[in-house]
Amino acid sequence: MSEVERTIMNLPRRDAPDKLRGRTKYTNDRMDSTTLHAALLRSTVPAGRIARLDVSRALKCPGVRAVATAGDAPGLFGIGVADHPLFASDTIRYIGEPIAAVAAETLEQARAAIAAIELEVEPLAPVLTMEEALAPGARLVHENWRNYEILFEGGSRRGNIAWEAKAMRGDVDAAFARSDVRIVESTFRVGRQNHVPFEPRVAICSWEDDRAHIQTSTQVPWTVRNVTGRVMGLTPGRVRVTVPAVGGGFGLKFDATIEPITAVLARKTGRAVMLENSRFEEMTTCLCRENADIRIRSAVAADGEIVGREATVLMDCGAYGGEQIFLTTMTAHTLGGNYRLGAVRLTSRAIYTNTPPNGAFRACNGVYNTFALERHTDEICAELGFNPIEFRRRNVLGDGDLGATGQPFEGEVLRPMLDRMEGLREKVGSARERAAGRLYGRATTVGTWFIFVGPSSATVNLNADGSATLVTSGVEIGSGTMTQSLPQIVAGQLGLDPRDVIVKQADTDAAGLDVGVGGGRTTVSIGAASIEACVPIREKLLKTASEMLQTPPERLTLRNGRVEIAAVPGSGATVAEVVQRAQSISGPVTGTGSFTAKNVPAMAGCAMGHFIEAIDIPVFAVHDAEVAVDPETGHVEVLSYSVVQDVGRALNPLAIHGQVQGGVVQGLGYALHEEVTLGGEGEIRQSGFETYRLPLALDAVPVAIDLYEGAPSMGPLGTKGAGEVPILNTAATVACAVANATGRLVREIPLTPPRVLRILRDREPALPHPHISADWLQNTLD
Amino acid sequence: MSTTFQLNGETCRFDGDPMTPLIDLLRCQRFMTGTKAVCREGFCGACTVNVEGEPVLACLRPVGLLEGLSVMTIEGASRYDAEAQLLQAAFERVDAVQCGMCFPGMVMSLSKFLRETPRADRNAVKHAMVGNICRCTGYERIVDAVMECLAEAHSAGGADV
Ligand code: FES
Ligand code: FES
Repeated sequence: MSEVERTIMNLPRRDAPDKLRGRTKYTNDRMDSTTLHAALLRSTVPAGRIARLDVSRALKCPGVRAVATAGDAPGLFGIGVADHPLFASDTIRYIGEPIAAVAAETLEQARAAIAAIELEVEPLAPVLTMEEALAPGARLVHENWRNYEILFEGGSRRGNIAWEAKAMRGDVDAAFARSDVRIVESTFRVGRQNHVPFEPRVAICSWEDDRAHIQTSTQVPWTVRNVTGRVMGLTPGRVRVTVPAVGGGFGLKFDATIEPITAVLARKTGRAVMLENSRFEEMTTCLCRENADIRIRSAVAADGEIVGREATVLMDCGAYGGEQIFLTTMTAHTLGGNYRLGAVRLTSRAIYTNTPPNGAFRACNGVYNTFALERHTDEICAELGFNPIEFRRRNVLGDGDLGATGQPFEGEVLRPMLDRMEGLREKVGSARERAAGRLYGRATTVGTWFIFVGPSSATVNLNADGSATLVTSGVEIGSGTMTQSLPQIVAGQLGLDPRDVIVKQADTDAAGLDVGVGGGRTTVSIGAASIEACVPIREKLLKTASEMLQTPPERLTLRNGRVEIAAVPGSGATVAEVVQRAQSISGPVTGTGSFTAKNVPAMAGCAMGHFIEAIDIPVFAVHDAEVAVDPETGHVEVLSYSVVQDVGRALNPLAIHGQVQGGVVQGLGYALHEEVTLGGEGEIRQSGFETYRLPLALDAVPVAIDLYEGAPSMGPLGTKGAGEVPILNTAATVACAVANATGRLVREIPLTPPRVLRILRDREPALPHPHISADWLQNTLD
Repeated sequence: MSTTFQLNGETCRFDGDPMTPLIDLLRCQRFMTGTKAVCREGFCGACTVNVEGEPVLACLRPVGLLEGLSVMTIEGASRYDAEAQLLQAAFERVDAVQCGMCFPGMVMSLSKFLRETPRADRNAVKHAMVGNICRCTGYERIVDAVMECLAEAHSAGGADV
């Protein structure tokens, strides 16, 4: 049995029994009667200057143990640009921005003390939309943007443009000037999406050995460590981060703004301090998937070849650059993905506004760019008279084709996946008759995501009882990576049962560097590091056993918890016996491994301001949906949904199917009803479950799934990440199906009943996007 | 003023403000954290407990209204409630659980459904679940698990409607 065969199985999650019985202790379950509670004073104006901040009355309130303000955490942090203070010190930039924090014996006391803080603010005229931010003479959200420390070189910035990334390849002007092409232009707009993981952002910090120990619900323990050190002026080594079970993340918990506050308060009080966002705070400062405005133009030849494409994507980063700066990178690969392009130029800009900061959300940047790209593709097909599926078959990226930044794609994947979708469509059949008098539409779309691998490390220790302990910075956020795929991988390497692989919870004191759980990278990156960690262990086991059994190591194999003579199942010794022997003669049996991608760099001069020299691992998806649109109410019902997803190799098909089902339903929410809108002061209006409409059981649709295996991947055992991708082209697919059903253009999501009714009645406003010039060059700095 | 009620079979006396929501008594005073507080506004179902066998939202129920009643939380149901145990086993089997935060409430809501509705179809199960939101799983697996339980209960001679 090969290590691959030993690894593949439908191993159930080990954390399910405790989670189902309420025994799992998430971070917010870990308070006890000695824990202090923290509350925040948050801004109620979108922009202003702090004229006076006096916390002396709060300090005298009952139960109060400490108050913290900007003076306690003077450092600025960020990704790309250090523009973000922990507490507003002088300038306020959004409603909800933290200004001060109180730690008290009870939460009620902390809140009462917050109310006693005296704050005077001179309001400033807020900049609330990207259109306002880009208007000539717009007020600067960050007046001193020039003075910020640059953490990553290469992007352009100016004024309210926090960051700009570009991808350029070929002579786009020449392509558009060709006499034999038709030019198709489209504009799109998307709103924000709130993550709503069930566990809010929460942290508990205690001060131990003159260091901060933070227990937190995070996807990025190392980022929390570094940011906390940075804002407090401590070396990061004086911060220890451990991560209990996480109650969902979806990208929200890349944030590191809660944890440093608990550290500041723990240092001041010497007590454990818990800060947990209330649901209101969580909803209104949620680092939503960003709203974006998009303009895209293509020059298409009569035979369907796309000879030129240019696009501009404006991403609203809110008050601070944060992850949007990083995410500008993704546009090249998502909007510039899917199709073979002759010449291309893309720019994506992160724009400052006086609104709550946005963040990364599952298939970040990709879901709306895929929506725009696939709708644009269907608009091309409609204008030029192509069959949309045939057009895709002709133009999707194949072996050797170049992405937007000039990296070649390896392997022919999307085209055979389209064929597989045809098979799946036949198998599933049509649900057309269930439309029953309503408008019926069907669409098939393609999607390209890529996994940014980045550095990971792993240590494996073999124990005297024959079990193995895996030590990493990986976090179980609900996807099953830490409870299923990683123990399977280690077990497969060592011939153990995965139940005998102990997984240590993330602890920055114990495990090596890791860039966090997200983007579908964990199985790939920590998996590869784990395999490397197993190499010396196998060697030592085989060597020791060879001496014990008087058999050359080549004739031995690891299986079923034993070191056996390969030809004689059941022979040899147990791993436990061999480990005990090895420990006594040559010391502990342990190995460490590390991994980072050997990626293909962008073609010289093609990419500017990009954070990742991707493409590390491209992942493809083909989605198909049937919808019925009620012309009276505007309600869209999804009648059927099918997914063919490239997974490289499925180590745990059961778990992957669960991820696909969950991701698609989350995507259906984004496509149809999850709508975040901003009020006149730039505040998020959907502040709770009553106003933010999440998918319910009756909204869910069973997804027909076909996992496509065998595409090239540098992932361990040929794997690719599977949890991020399922949401990538759901909105695109539903929007294209609704456009087909209604015969109208769909330029905005979510497709709520009022919007669909406006579309049906031709009342949906056009999107002229005056803040995006028709001349692409006007949309770039330098 | 004090309130006395049965909590998972044991007598529980509470001397604070009778308007205290049950969720706060459980989580913040007894540190019984199996019951999850997610929305605190009666919409998500994560805080569901059983009062006199009926699913009740602990974030909306003041402790003062529990005088003399019997309250069962996920901790108690996991020990004493046969339907809850059936559901837990099925959720494990079909790999329905992801982050897990919604599941204690899901089990508490569905155990009564299972007891009283042995012949439901998928759609009826979904209707029974609309008060319990799950952000992670996309629901279908949960419905699969409930359907398995229904089949099991039926083949074990569950009551017919
Ligand atoms: S916490 Fe009670 S219904 Fe959401
Ligand atoms: S499993 Fe995460 S909310 Fe249901």
